[in-house]
Amino acid sequence: MADFIKHPVVGLPDRKPDPVIPADQLHFSDEEKKQIQTWISRYPTADGAVMRALWLAQEKFGFLPPEVVQLVADELNIPYANAYGVATFYTQYFKEKKGKYVLDVCTCFSCQLCGGFDMLHYLEEKLNVHKGETTEDGIFTVQEAECLGACGSAPMLQITNGTYVHNLTEEKIDALIDALREDRMPAFTSVTLPQDEDELGGNRRSDVEHTEAYQAGPVSETTR
Amino acid sequence: MSKAGDWRNYKRVLLPPVKDLHKLDVYEAHEGYSALREILTTDKWDPTSVTDEVKKSGLKGRGGAGFPTGLKWSFMPPIDPDVPRFLCCNGDESEPGTFKDRQLLEYNPHSVFEGMLIASYAMGIKTGFLYIRGEFADWITHMEAELEKAYDKGYVGKNIMGSDFSCDIVIHKGAGAYICGEESSLMNSLEGKRAYPRIKPPFPAQKGVWGYPTTINNVETLACAPLIIRNGGEWYAGIGAQSHPGPVLYGISGHVNRPGVYEYPTGMLISDLIYEVAGGMRGGKKLKALVPGGSSTPVLRADMIDGVTMDADSLREAGSMMGTSGMLIMDEDTDMVSFLRRITHFYHHESCGQCTPCREGTGWLENIVTRIDEGEGNLRDLDLLMDLCSQMEGRTVCALADAAAWPVRYTIDRFRDEFEAKCKPSLVPSGADLVMA
Repeated sequence: MADFIKHPVVGLPDRKPDPVIPADQLHFSDEEKKQIQTWISRYPTADGAVMRALWLAQEKFGFLPPEVVQLVADELNIPYANAYGVATFYTQYFKEKKGKYVLDVCTCFSCQLCGGFDMLHYLEEKLNVHKGETTEDGIFTVQEAECLGACGSAPMLQITNGTYVHNLTEEKIDALIDALREDRMPAFTSVTLPQDEDELGGNRRSDVEHTEAYQAGPVSETTR
Repeated sequence: MSKAGDWRNYKRVLLPPVKDLHKLDVYEAHEGYSALREILTTDKWDPTSVTDEVKKSGLKGRGGAGFPTGLKWSFMPPIDPDVPRFLCCNGDESEPGTFKDRQLLEYNPHSVFEGMLIASYAMGIKTGFLYIRGEFADWITHMEAELEKAYDKGYVGKNIMGSDFSCDIVIHKGAGAYICGEESSLMNSLEGKRAYPRIKPPFPAQKGVWGYPTTINNVETLACAPLIIRNGGEWYAGIGAQSHPGPVLYGISGHVNRPGVYEYPTGMLISDLIYEVAGGMRGGKKLKALVPGGSSTPVLRADMIDGVTMDADSLREAGSMMGTSGMLIMDEDTDMVSFLRRITHFYHHESCGQCTPCREGTGWLENIVTRIDEGEGNLRDLDLLMDLCSQMEGRTVCALADAAAWPVRYTIDRFRDEFEAKCKPSLVPSGADLVMA
């Protein structure tokens, strides 16, 4: 038999995989159900709320196996296929179990030219994983991300679809990993405008403690 | 010649130097919501005159395509009370090199809300969706908090400021797809479908979200609306380049000393932006190339920017586009082949997979450019790439295939020597070889 028949390029997903989430945990609380109903009320049809509901499910269960997608579909009263289609289209919905912290290192465009790959490789070496893999202790997943919209503060990374860490250096990564091992999430950092430094003395938000300025990126060692 | 006039003394208007402008009370104290109040509580304005004022301002969309905003608003069909209509504010800022909207959302959120309300009034819309990319989770939380305050104050919701105008704003959180920045794809995403772009026509103004008339504008575009109403269309038209007026948030990144988001008029000389605004090249290196408006816009060589200004006309003449005005500056050490390799990887990753020329084409672009970058390419691969680009451009539902093909076409066109140098030497002697021998 030809090789490509034995090893198809595209593997078809298992239609009825064994559930990962135990049945007794597989439900939304009353509060979450109420929240989903609020979202539904904002759109002309319940479909509009599917992305928010999937976000909620991902925050609750960590990722979106078929049974969780089914739960969301049932909650919204929409076909499973629609919810599954949405869950598999978007990059930020996790289809498989990830580490406790997912580190998305941007290596795209500006970040490539300002050391994004250096940071990715440093992180890979430090945690002893390749991109896309999770550390053995299940704490960190390292991923290569497409443009995250923080090109001026390159290189940068995002922690589990949330906080941005700007102007990365090796020291900053060391400190970040140590902090995350102790479950200390870095605070939201506001990146100040260069023109504000001239006119407002830097930080324009009095309600944000942590600020950072845009900085010239380091010289890239590698660009792939 | 710079068209930005006395830009060194330019007073910022989109992100004025006001401490805590993102807070509602501070925004109110600085003429915030005064444009909306004037529209709703005086007889001076009706929906048509608001649209006409925006037309007069010459405002062009800031999301990349640069379509005249007032004209777009006038495409909406006449109001039928039985047919709902929608506004979408496109905050799915994913074009590599672009990071301006994030700063606008953080530092001046209410100007976006006010702009959405003004646009809704002009077009008789009762629901506006603000679509923000899912990666901006922290900023979505921030916007939701500010929106709630605007609701509490009666600026958004039912009978705004005691008038008979009601409008809701819904913040929609994306989940990581570059394609959602395309307007018809954004509509599908809002409807809770896979974000495949739709064939146009019908255009959104005829058949948009849930099949109803819809207008879609960029965050920065809508934030300009309150300024235009407050100060007049003529004032706006007088800022920067005549054919492409207004303040612009320039996002400058790459090999410069002072990257960041800067607000200046349109029509700034590119050389002024690099050497004066952004503090010059990092480490005193020489400029090699720059991308003027996000990864889709054709790259310009350093020798192509003499006298070129940041507006649609001048950049078209120079052989590129304004795009999102997210500029990437590259110094002399940049390897253009690996630079292109990463761009092709991006488009391969982000192609939605609906149209064959794009789904397959972006993959082949990446494969072939990677082959060249690894030193395994042949000279004929360059022609193959050009051929592939021709097979992709204009043959798909949306413009992603074009956006993927342009960087390849123009980077090879403008830096062909570097690509040839990485290819395996040809076994057939070239004309140059024969002459030299």
